[in-house]
Amino acid sequence: MLAHVARFYHPTTVEEACSLLAAKDHKNVALAGGTHLAVVEDSGIEGLVDLKGLKLTHQRRENGRITIGAMNPVEDLKTSTLLSGPGGNLLRLSAAAIGSTPLRHAITVGGNLVAAFPWSDLPPALLALDTEVVLRRGKEERVLPIGKLYETRPTDVIKADELVTEIRVSEFATSTGTAFQKVARTKNDYALITVAVRLTLKDGLISEARVALNGLTRRPCRITSVETFLTGKKCDKDIFREAAKKAGDGIELTSDFRASREYREEVLPVYIRRCLEEAAANVSK
Amino acid sequence: MEKPAAIPEYPRTYPKPDKFDVVNHSREKLDGMGLVTGTRKFVADFDLPNMIHVKMLGSPHAHARIISIDTEEAMKMPGVVGIYTSKDVPRVAHTTAGQGYPEPSPYDTFMLDTKVRFIGDRVAIVAAETPEAAIAACRKIKVQYEVLPAVFSIEQAMAEGAPVIHDESDCSVPIPIHFDPKRNHCAHMETKVGDVEKGYKEADVVLEKTYHSHYAQHCPIEPHTCACYLDEDDRVVLISSTQVPFHARRITAQVLQIPIKRIRVIKPRIGGGFGTKQEVLLEDVCAFVTMKTRRPCRWELTRAEEFMSARTRHPMSVTIKMGVKKNGKITAMSMKVLSNTGAYGSHALTVMSNCGSKVLPLYKCENVEFIGDTYYTNLPVAGAYRGYGATQAAFGAEAHMDELASAIKMDALKFRAMNHIKVGETSPIFQALGEGRAGVSMVIQSCGLAECIEIGRKEIGWNEKRGKPGTGIKRRGIGMCMLMQGSSIPEIDMGSVFIKMNEDGSFNMLLGATDLGTGSDTILAQIAAETLGCDHSDMLVYSSDTDFTPFDTGAYASSTTYLSGGAVINAATKVREQILAVASMMLGEKPEQLTIENKTILGKNKKNKITFSQICKYAMYEVNQFQIGAIGSHVTHASPPPFSAHFAEVEVDIETGELKVIKYVAAVDCGTAINPQLADGQTQGGLLNGIGYATTEEYHFDKSGRMLNPSFKHYKIFGANDIPEIKTFLVPTYEPTGPYGAKSVSEICINGALPAIGNAIKDAVGVRICEGPFTAERILKAIREAGKIGKD
Amino acid sequence: MKLNITLNGAKKSLEIAPNAYLLDVLRDLAGMKSVKRGCGEGTCGACAVLIDGRLRNSCITFAAHCEGATVLTVEGIGSHEHPHILQKAFVNHGATQCGYCNPGSLLAAKALLDRNPDPTMDQVKEALDGNLCRCTGYVKRIDAVLDAAKEMKSSREEKR
Repeated sequence: MLAHVARFYHPTTVEEACSLLAAKDHKNVALAGGTHLAVVEDSGIEGLVDLKGLKLTHQRRENGRITIGAMNPVEDLKTSTLLSGPGGNLLRLSAAAIGSTPLRHAITVGGNLVAAFPWSDLPPALLALDTEVVLRRGKEERVLPIGKLYETRPTDVIKADELVTEIRVSEFATSTGTAFQKVARTKNDYALITVAVRLTLKDGLISEARVALNGLTRRPCRITSVETFLTGKKCDKDIFREAAKKAGDGIELTSDFRASREYREEVLPVYIRRCLEEAAANVSK
Repeated sequence: MEKPAAIPEYPRTYPKPDKFDVVNHSREKLDGMGLVTGTRKFVADFDLPNMIHVKMLGSPHAHARIISIDTEEAMKMPGVVGIYTSKDVPRVAHTTAGQGYPEPSPYDTFMLDTKVRFIGDRVAIVAAETPEAAIAACRKIKVQYEVLPAVFSIEQAMAEGAPVIHDESDCSVPIPIHFDPKRNHCAHMETKVGDVEKGYKEADVVLEKTYHSHYAQHCPIEPHTCACYLDEDDRVVLISSTQVPFHARRITAQVLQIPIKRIRVIKPRIGGGFGTKQEVLLEDVCAFVTMKTRRPCRWELTRAEEFMSARTRHPMSVTIKMGVKKNGKITAMSMKVLSNTGAYGSHALTVMSNCGSKVLPLYKCENVEFIGDTYYTNLPVAGAYRGYGATQAAFGAEAHMDELASAIKMDALKFRAMNHIKVGETSPIFQALGEGRAGVSMVIQSCGLAECIEIGRKEIGWNEKRGKPGTGIKRRGIGMCMLMQGSSIPEIDMGSVFIKMNEDGSFNMLLGATDLGTGSDTILAQIAAETLGCDHSDMLVYSSDTDFTPFDTGAYASSTTYLSGGAVINAATKVREQILAVASMMLGEKPEQLTIENKTILGKNKKNKITFSQICKYAMYEVNQFQIGAIGSHVTHASPPPFSAHFAEVEVDIETGELKVIKYVAAVDCGTAINPQLADGQTQGGLLNGIGYATTEEYHFDKSGRMLNPSFKHYKIFGANDIPEIKTFLVPTYEPTGPYGAKSVSEICINGALPAIGNAIKDAVGVRICEGPFTAERILKAIREAGKIGKD
Repeated sequence: MKLNITLNGAKKSLEIAPNAYLLDVLRDLAGMKSVKRGCGEGTCGACAVLIDGRLRNSCITFAAHCEGATVLTVEGIGSHEHPHILQKAFVNHGATQCGYCNPGSLLAAKALLDRNPDPTMDQVKEALDGNLCRCTGYVKRIDAVLDAAKEMKSSREEKR
């Protein structure tokens, strides 16, 4: 319940939205899909800045790069015919894993990326794809690698009057395989484990490995120990098995009523191994 | 003394007609179009002018004494109309359980008390102009608590020197049953038939195991909602989402100490109940607020409140011991039930005793023992929940049947087939275990189990797949179970109905029975139409309103079709006799020569014809005028069990423990299915609820007794894309004591998933899991502990 | 503040609070009682409506967010007199028991068929995944949607 919201703005440009968010006299916050904002208790919020009018719903594919507006509902990623290649597939799969149909119509790419709850399904896929995040503060624009946002909390990096306007990923059209796994009790439950994997090959060897997680860590993260181990190696079942065993290295797993830390520790390597095998099996020519 | 003539005598059996015209056909649900177009009203859809909103301040402590409540600041909040604490309300010990009077549940609940016994327990009532204002005011109420040590398990509750949850001097039981609140001992029941010890001595194999079933909630999509207003005569009118309007009226009168005649309870459309709306949870407060403020009010539980402070399934430990000979004969069985009723004893005795009465008679055995004990804890309050103890007990009993079969190396189906109760047989348990008093003995007159087993065996592929899990990472397993339930509470519950004829040949049927979404209005209309000789759409059904509809105990105990259906036949038969009498006068023929076909009376040799409409007009306007109409009541003298066989096929991932239910088959004998489509719908809905209970649904608590997951975000019920392949079959039998051969169908279907899936998991990976739900983590742990399958 | 929407085909201008939820506005100000509250947190779908053709849970949608939008509730798809094929199919298949979740589910089904007139069973299951039902077990509902799709297809072909 946002008991003290007395203003609701419908800006039509990024500049206008940013200036509303910069207001000093009262606290305005940005409203994207609203699935989180609508159920929080915050009596400090006095105004809502609806980003709907900014028309950031573009999806473009140029020169092997995919550009997606931050206000795309994730349902539009799931059903997109434009997203292709191993990169596009991973985006579609991760979007499809989110919530239920009415929630996917509300949740936006930008919102899921910025909120980055432990159970958010998009962030690990974005990490695996080395996504670039475009931020605008009025006319000022900066581009950050997605990993930068998850070093701490995204809201520590993104300023109060700054907006995510789009993301850019590579299609990884050639020599790449991807895989995505959400583990949950029911299809629209929050994940207890999410794994996103990308393997890019060069001369038959893994040149770039990305193994990203969510659901069992405080924040979306990559497991660099596994990635480093894989780099320069062949796609091989035994190597994947070996790599997956390093899954717990350097990351702190969470425990909650969905699953204990011990269980997550035990099965994480299994899911990572399976994702690696699946990614290796669908490497594009 | 002989029964006076004014007291009705009703038939104990209903002969099978040559054919059915309306009954046993899937006729359109009478309120269907109103529901899908959104015009049918639920409680929250009634706009009452000048209405205020009610919220309850819930306890943050599992066990505490309220030292003081300061409402001064809260009263100053904008929009607040009134705040009420225990000082403002009558103190009347009662039970919220909507059961027949006097109830077999302890009077241990007060409208507001100076003590709180679970997190979410009632502390203070707030009435305000908007729900938001009421919530804001709740937060400003200052309560000083003396926090008491709390009890969170049956073991803790039973322990010597345990904190006493009900230490008040004015709690009691209204009927002579065991009740020892000083030891947190809420209910006890035991019975013994034959010589159990002798039976165990004769056995070749004796097995004993304890099975644990867990907290769960009904999750009707409509939360409990109640609205109230004062009518033109200053009477209190409650519009409530209740399964028991007449009990709600009686209990509200009791709690508020006002005459029953001052209260009217209206039950509009109800958004599902499954037992949780068999409780009087809101009505007393709404009536109180309206009487105090003289304004209409509404109280709608939030989803979190629905989980935390409405009702739940009783968590239980069921210990089963059985002795069996190598040839498959069961020589003795014992069931020991420990039931956790939470902070109040709603249905504490009867859910526990139902564990025995709805499960033990399924298999023939001369030596049987049942001991049940229910304890209070400082956890959410349990109550009636579809299955009503049979769910918890069938989990243990049917897992145990598989264990025994495997111990004597007999096929689990064959073992069950040779032991289950059959037509012409009885069980001493029927008489031994009743609801707060002795039960009613009965002989089984219909049983379609053999056919249920056969259908399920083929549909699931038992012979081909059982015992062949494969060797890969994903192992397949097949499991089954058999079930029985009852139909109504014999010689206790009563239903009645009033039918009157209209000039166009239609009928108003005023039902005390409570359609809570099951389609009982339609089913009872079909029964009436079959008896009268018209179409079910000629019945204008109204249910229920304590001012206008005759008494019915309510929608519970699998009773509506069987019990209230009998009342419908009894009323409709009288109406039919009146119709024939008038027709005979009009046609100048003897009533016994007349037949009815589709609202037309045909004379001898079908020469003379006269319509229902002509008859009613004649009776209303012409000669010897009277209203064609009658009231019918019914009390049952048996509770014939519906029977069912459930089969599950599962896949278990041995590396992660993940369980996938691939296919689920249920074949059910509910006698004559009055409306096969609706009976099938009950079965499908109930079994999916059961699958949810078996696999994902559970309460998680923190150390203070607070539920951690009171939300559909975290308490996962199945959605449309989670369902396995579901196949359901109705196996027709004819139950002579039931209306047109019908038995119940609503509850039995929820009991099968825990045992059938548990047995399928055993078939797949060789481990017996005695505690639900079957989460991946639990399954993997069991696989590891059994050392059955190697680690990665 | 004012909210201008096209509700079930009619232009409406409603005076709302900036923090009001669409659910409350539809029920209390516009009289659309088919829109039900089941959980109040966007997880059950009883309050689902179509906003510019998209299925959204109105209990977690700010009403002001819908400025200028087209909103459809079950009152807008059919009536007793002229029911939508989906509504008839729900009744015929026994997909309605208590009926509390029907309005949301029907709109989910309609949104699906508007986009995809010939869905597979899996697509139907997925389209209805946000509309919880505790009564039916979903089987009859899925059959009803598939059947309605078939009927709509044949009535389209007849028109040609």
